[in-house]
Amino acid sequence: MSTLERLRALLQRELEVSAESLRPGTTLESLGIDSLRMIEIVFTIEDEFKVAVRAEPAELRERLKTLGDLAAYIDELVRAAPAAS
Amino acid sequence: MRRVAVTGIGVVSPLGVGAEAFFEALAAGRSGIRVLAIDAPRPLATRIGAAVDFNAGEHFPAPKARMLDRVSQFALVAAAEAIAQSQGALHGDQARMGVFVGTGMGGAQTTDESYRTLYESGSDRLKPFSVLLAMANAPCAWIALEHGIAGPSLSYSCACASSAVAIGEAFRSIARGDCDVAIAGGAEAPLTFGTIRAWEALRTLAAEDPHDPSASCKPFSKDRSGLVLGEGAAMFVLEDRDRAAARGATILAEVAGYGICTDATHITRPTAEAQSRAMRLAMEDARLSPAQVGYVNAHGTGTEANDGVETAALHAALADRAKDVPVSSTKSMHGHLLGAAGALEFAAALQALRKQVLPPTMHLAQPDPACDLDYVANAARRVPAFEAVLSNSFAFGGTDAVIAARAA
Repeated sequence: MSTLERLRALLQRELEVSAESLRPGTTLESLGIDSLRMIEIVFTIEDEFKVAVRAEPAELRERLKTLGDLAAYIDELVRAAPAAS
Repeated sequence: MRRVAVTGIGVVSPLGVGAEAFFEALAAGRSGIRVLAIDAPRPLATRIGAAVDFNAGEHFPAPKARMLDRVSQFALVAAAEAIAQSQGALHGDQARMGVFVGTGMGGAQTTDESYRTLYESGSDRLKPFSVLLAMANAPCAWIALEHGIAGPSLSYSCACASSAVAIGEAFRSIARGDCDVAIAGGAEAPLTFGTIRAWEALRTLAAEDPHDPSASCKPFSKDRSGLVLGEGAAMFVLEDRDRAAARGATILAEVAGYGICTDATHITRPTAEAQSRAMRLAMEDARLSPAQVGYVNAHGTGTEANDGVETAALHAALADRAKDVPVSSTKSMHGHLLGAAGALEFAAALQALRKQVLPPTMHLAQPDPACDLDYVANAARRVPAFEAVLSNSFAFGGTDAVIAARAA
């Protein structure tokens, strides 16, 4: 499963939205992800992808506009720190 | 001073969700006390409690529910019912509206889960919203947020008197003219391993009745052995009476008086002097004589310490009328909701006033000579219309709060 597919499955679960509403170009804003909700999503991403997000969620929320941006960011993290187990 | 109407009542209780369901169960003498299914790392000595049959998913989408401790979920559901019943109390200047909520323990479940993660699982991965879920003012804050109420939002924590104090302070705020409308009440969700174990350690919990666990709380009975912990919430819409009348609202009752004082003698042991003083203050505030009081919802915990002292306090406050005024402890059915107890019991008292049915003290099998009042023992009683009720709430720490209400 690609990072984007895993992210979509995760957000479908977390936000209770349909798969169709989660396209690579879908903006985080349109999903109602504010800086507070971003903190929770970062926490879940850390669990799901076994990575540590050092950036501030509020800063990420500003920088990453779409699901595609977020998936690309996760790929960067996974490449930089492959899963320990 | 302005008069204060009740225009909405909402209840989440071990006897059902909804004010009507709650009172029907009380009038039928049904108990919500049962053997609990608590997620406990080790067995508890106490198996019983009064839990709410509550599915958060029926009330909130999952992302919202994750931001709410069980105590805030109860508070929001009870507030929504009360607000719906008021039929438009919140239309108007929301800066003139307030939220007043009592809770003893706030987000106890979140605190308990967080400790288990930290100390039992040895993990540092606490959920990001732990602070927001556990904070004691969360139930109050969420009601304000959800309904856009922009005047004061205040949380009161005085143990078992918390929500009676919240209702009393909301009443005063409207009477003084500081607010026009208030959502007032209390919420508590303490049925976790840690909280139950702490109450066990204090040796105040009732022993499980060997024949019928649901009959374990026996207020005013000689064989009483303590309190049974419960959970839930009750909320009221309180409103300037003239405003409620002008908008054509149904006035369910009037909050007529509030008595508040402190024992100031011992951290747990109550005094009849202070309890009776709180009752007298409430009656004076409401300009009620004992002859006008038709029912008292007792604090009636079912502990050795409370019931005799409260009986003596009722004698002192009601004087020669004491034996004629029916008094009951509905805790025999819904358990002790701690910070939400005063609000839930005020709901019971208001429904008694409105329906002219007095809820009973159940499981009162053995009269105690030290408890010699009319406790409406073991069956509800239909009575002719009467004028006023009192609802007693007495706390660890010594806070004694009494609310008086008058028929609409």
